[in-house]
Amino acid sequence: MPGSNYDRDLTVKEGFNLKKFLVRWEMILVYILVLLNLILIVFRTDLYFQAGTVQSIINSGLDVSPLVLGMVFILLLGDIDVSVAAQMILGGTVTGLVIDPSMGLVPMEAPPSVGVIILAVALGIVSCMICGAFNGICVAYLKMPAVITTISTSMLFRGIVEIILGENSLKNFPSWYGNIGWYNIGGILPLSMLLFLIMGAIFIFILHRTTFGRKVYIVGNNPTCATYSGISVTGVKMQVFILMGFMAGIESIFFIGRMGGGVSSSMGTGYEMTAIACAVLGGVSTNGGKGKMYGPIIATFIMAFLTYTLGLLGVDPNTKKIFTGVILIVTILISTINRQMIKDIKLRLLYHSNKNIEAIHDRTAEAVKEMKAQIKELQKGNASDKAAQIKKLEDKIAAAQKECEEKSAQWWAEQQADAKKAKERFAK
Amino acid sequence: MKNLLKSRNTGLVLVLIILLIVARVVTPGMFTVGSMISMLQNNTVYALLAVGEMMVILTGGIDISIASQLAFVGITTTVLSTANPGVPGIVWVLVGILLGAVCGMINGALVGYLHMVPMICTLGTMYIFRGLAFVVSGGQWWFAADYLDSYRFWAITKIAGIPLLVWFTIIIMILAGLFLGYTAPGRRIYAIGTSRESSAVAGVKEPAVTFYAFVICGALSGFSGMMYTANYAIGYYGMAESFEMTAIAICVLGGVSITGGKGRMDGVAIGALIMAVVVYFISMIPGMSVWQKALQGGIIIVAVAINYFTERSAEKQALKERGALI
Repeated sequence: MPGSNYDRDLTVKEGFNLKKFLVRWEMILVYILVLLNLILIVFRTDLYFQAGTVQSIINSGLDVSPLVLGMVFILLLGDIDVSVAAQMILGGTVTGLVIDPSMGLVPMEAPPSVGVIILAVALGIVSCMICGAFNGICVAYLKMPAVITTISTSMLFRGIVEIILGENSLKNFPSWYGNIGWYNIGGILPLSMLLFLIMGAIFIFILHRTTFGRKVYIVGNNPTCATYSGISVTGVKMQVFILMGFMAGIESIFFIGRMGGGVSSSMGTGYEMTAIACAVLGGVSTNGGKGKMYGPIIATFIMAFLTYTLGLLGVDPNTKKIFTGVILIVTILISTINRQMIKDIKLRLLYHSNKNIEAIHDRTAEAVKEMKAQIKELQKGNASDKAAQIKKLEDKIAAAQKECEEKSAQWWAEQQADAKKAKERFAK
Repeated sequence: MKNLLKSRNTGLVLVLIILLIVARVVTPGMFTVGSMISMLQNNTVYALLAVGEMMVILTGGIDISIASQLAFVGITTTVLSTANPGVPGIVWVLVGILLGAVCGMINGALVGYLHMVPMICTLGTMYIFRGLAFVVSGGQWWFAADYLDSYRFWAITKIAGIPLLVWFTIIIMILAGLFLGYTAPGRRIYAIGTSRESSAVAGVKEPAVTFYAFVICGALSGFSGMMYTANYAIGYYGMAESFEMTAIAICVLGGVSITGGKGRMDGVAIGALIMAVVVYFISMIPGMSVWQKALQGGIIIVAVAINYFTERSAEKQALKERGALI
């Protein structure tokens, strides 16, 4: 049925566009990563090509990686979760307590059996998921703001660990924890990177190829719209917060492995900030609904190389915080610069905040553009009165531009006169 | 009388009285005028931070960089004052306020004029100020012996038995209450917190209001940074870690709505007193100090939940009344 609304062609027409692909945010991140590597190669040639350097850079940066993956989902909802570091410490504590000989499940002076380890790790992850569910109930069902909820739950979770452990620390973790933090397969491929990439692939699949991922985007973009489309907003939020808890549980394995198999209540402060920074650097908008999974994965590597490069250049770990903060702010500022902002600045600086002047400038620019296109077409063709027609159009352009100038000058004068009058009236 | 019963502050005062009675029963030896004054002196820094934080939360934002600002300004005034022993102490108070205001200006410009999300922006500046505190301090620690008497004078001198720091806090709270309640700029803070759109239509310049709210917040954190070092006579780059949480907790306890536009100075003052009693007496009971963090976190969550439910029921009530009118 031609002309009917029902046989619209809905397939995506736009194919692969190299020009657009090269300036995508993910590609820019890749360039930055390559640039960082080049800087390292140039300034520390001997060190860079030494066996194990690159591996240790990647290992050191990836101890935050599972948090980044979960945080992307939370940020896509337009929420934020700053309790993840506390969750991960709580999960680690639960695992450690189960394995600890003093609890009675594991005999003294003997390595824990496989069953107990599986139970311990599972309990750790489940406790993190319960934490996530608690956040989820507060945010999704009670509709409390995510910022304040997670700030206070981070104090709560860490406080619970403090009550359990006090000043002590748990040290009795299985040896494969350390392998995740440090082991390189065949001396080349870091185990943590392999695991991170596998997890990343799974998350890319979940976010970009399943209905659940699409629901996350819709809820982040417009919760009202999502509700009217039949999506349970509370359900999606709940699932995402529990997913974040699950990732915090995984992160506790990475973290404890990296820290040499020990956990205490004051460890891992600031990990939530690094995770958020990685996600934001990867192009995820904090307002929700914008961003992809690829960017944050690359950004995690950038953070790793950046921290290491700064360390090699002799920058103190505390001073590095300044760089992390500046990067966070600058990346967000870059992403907020868009056409509207440029237009606003133009309006304020060039057109004296007068919308009429802006409108006539826009209109004239459009008309001139059109006429210039016509001239180009005429030059290509071979009409008999080509020269005369071009001359006519050029005159028209000049006239339009002159009119625009005159009109805006007149309006600007009127505006000034009005302002002067208003001032006089108020002075009385 | 009916209003008094309904008011949230009455409930807060009741909680305060109950807490004081519990404290009297549990630790009878500690319940003296002297210990009360030392409790106030040791907790006024939180109250000062909470007054600043309140300004920002009222606009609908949040500032989690105040503790880092406190550390940065405190370290800077410490370094400067130990290097210039001849300068009178009041100069360092003013330098602290000014430096804090500059920190606040950075936050305010980013959030107000460049429209960054307050949480993320102050997350970044939190890192930056903490890093700057380290750079300025060079990793050094300062102890009581390093501090000059002229520097400490403005915090610990006692007038009528009460330290100057507490007097300053009382004066600042009164001024802030007057500013928020009875001046046009103060009412504008409430206006943009309640509804950005309608206040913009009414001619309130939202960027400017956000900007000065952050500047006031920064100035107060700067002041408390100078006062913190002068009061405790200790300075290192990691000081006052997670004080912003306590400040936010006080605001929420005091009835400031985290979404902006609601909350009064008197509530925050009572909230600060409750927090002071809780923190002080928990540290007095042996074996309870590990509970402090969990309790504070729990208190904030419960307070936010209560705020939310009372607000929602008030809204429902208002709708019902309107419905009855129509």
